[in-house]
Amino acid sequence: MKNIHKPAVSTSRPDRARKTGKFLRPYLFLFPAAAVLAIFMFYPLIYTIYLSFFDWNMVKPVKEFVGFANYINMFQDPNIQKILVNTFLYIFLLLIFNFVAPYIFSFILSFVIKKGKNFYRSSIFLPSVISLVAGTMIFVWILNPISGPAAKIMEAFGQKVPIWSTTQGLVIVVISIITSWKIFGYNFIVALSGVGSIPLEIIEAARVDNIPLHKIFLKIVVPMSSSTGIYVLILAIVQGMQQVFTPINMITQGGPDYGSSNLIYNVYNEAFGFYKTGSASAYAILMMLIFIFLLVLEFKYVEKGVYYEN
Amino acid sequence: MKTNQNLKTARPLHKRQIGWHLLMMLLVIIALVPVLFAFISSFKSMQELYNGSLLPSQITFDNYGEILSSLPIFKITLNTFIIAVTVTVFKVVTSTLAAYAFVFFDFKGKNVIYFFLICTIFIPFTVTMIPNYLTVSNLNLVDKIWGVVLPQLADASGIFLLRQTMKTVPRPLIEISHLDDISEMKILRNIIIPICRPAIISTGIIFFINSWNEYVWPTLILRSRENYTLSLAMQVFTDSEGGVEYTITLAMAVITMLLPLTLYLIFQKHIMSTFASSGIKG
Repeated sequence: MKNIHKPAVSTSRPDRARKTGKFLRPYLFLFPAAAVLAIFMFYPLIYTIYLSFFDWNMVKPVKEFVGFANYINMFQDPNIQKILVNTFLYIFLLLIFNFVAPYIFSFILSFVIKKGKNFYRSSIFLPSVISLVAGTMIFVWILNPISGPAAKIMEAFGQKVPIWSTTQGLVIVVISIITSWKIFGYNFIVALSGVGSIPLEIIEAARVDNIPLHKIFLKIVVPMSSSTGIYVLILAIVQGMQQVFTPINMITQGGPDYGSSNLIYNVYNEAFGFYKTGSASAYAILMMLIFIFLLVLEFKYVEKGVYYEN
Repeated sequence: MKTNQNLKTARPLHKRQIGWHLLMMLLVIIALVPVLFAFISSFKSMQELYNGSLLPSQITFDNYGEILSSLPIFKITLNTFIIAVTVTVFKVVTSTLAAYAFVFFDFKGKNVIYFFLICTIFIPFTVTMIPNYLTVSNLNLVDKIWGVVLPQLADASGIFLLRQTMKTVPRPLIEISHLDDISEMKILRNIIIPICRPAIISTGIIFFINSWNEYVWPTLILRSRENYTLSLAMQVFTDSEGGVEYTITLAMAVITMLLPLTLYLIFQKHIMSTFASSGIKG
């Protein structure tokens, strides 16, 4: 890349060399990142699609082509209904805890509260830097139905903490809460960056006119921060669904009887529990399609630019 | 009339502040209490933990002693550290180079390439998990920390974050340097990196903390205890029936949290502003 030809009398050849050098330069800068992402993101994506058409167990020398059989079996799996319902229940809860709640709280912190903003911000963000594995273990103790602190407090009121890890439905709620403990702060900060950039005068004007807070939020704040809002929405689902894997794997392994499993966990279970790469890949692709659907939704809205902050 | 009404509402609004503060405090308590709780409990004996007393009547270091004697904890911490440092250095370097290309060059396919790279942020790990496991396994890197590192040498979110920052560097500055035939490496070293240092540092810290806390991928790759990371070691004190030695596990949680929390306390402002900038799409 260095200009070793500089002293040459004729300038035409080095010039051309420099030109092609210049042309290649941006690609050279991109190469390391692009190569890694190609090998460990795009190639695996394509290979997973490929694997979903084969019957294989990671060890057998020959993969047997089975067409769409893995997909057909997936939809005939007696557990598929439960897994799909659970997946959407997780998504719903993650949206409440990590999209709706941070959005509302970012509005409160930006425009309702006047003092202590920095303190609130940095305290609420703090769990985001903590390992979810550690967080999960702490909550497993706090919510231990027999001797944990929550049980002790409930006991004082003559109540009991249910054995949530084996209770259908409740187990998903608790796992979502544990996951949200970690990711709430991050989504909150991102939402804050969008909501906080709305000019203060607009909100003040609305308040002088005695417009109730919930109306200010719904009619002014949400539309004016919609591009960040949609980003937080996608974050809540895409990141949340991946994070939720950790407490599931640590506490229930998908149980009781698939009661806390979801698409993401089931891919792992099929692949590394049963060594069925075909059906695992089919489940992975189904999850991917759901994510793509949500992404298209995001890009549609963001491209339309309902409202851009800057 | 109007001013009157304003006066009327002014007082209740002020009063209502307390309610809002209580609500925010509730969030703060939910966020912080589990952490404090783990710290305090890690110095309790099992008996005192079950008694439910808030503070230990006698501080014990037995839980930490038990970890020292039953696990190669220094090796495990070192493994976690080596993985996190390597991943961080590579991600920061590859992201800086790529972001530089996206901001200061015009080239064919720029937008398409950027779009595809950013898409990788949204690919769930379950989709890449099986082929990446096979790749690592074919390279004989199962149960080796380099097997954990290998697929994570680049990260599109780093490209995104650093691109946002580099956009604030005045473009003419770079164009003049190009005309003066200053080498790209010099431009990067003497102009770009100094200007973007805060963002580069906090992106690096975020990568480091995330890698330090990583669970799923190391679970698949690492098998033997001396190759474990801290996240994997957390479950050693849980038996197969789900019985947990809580005080030791909470001490383990404290060991795991220590470095990320320290980094956060030091670099708090940097980290917050970098995270916040990820929300503004550009």
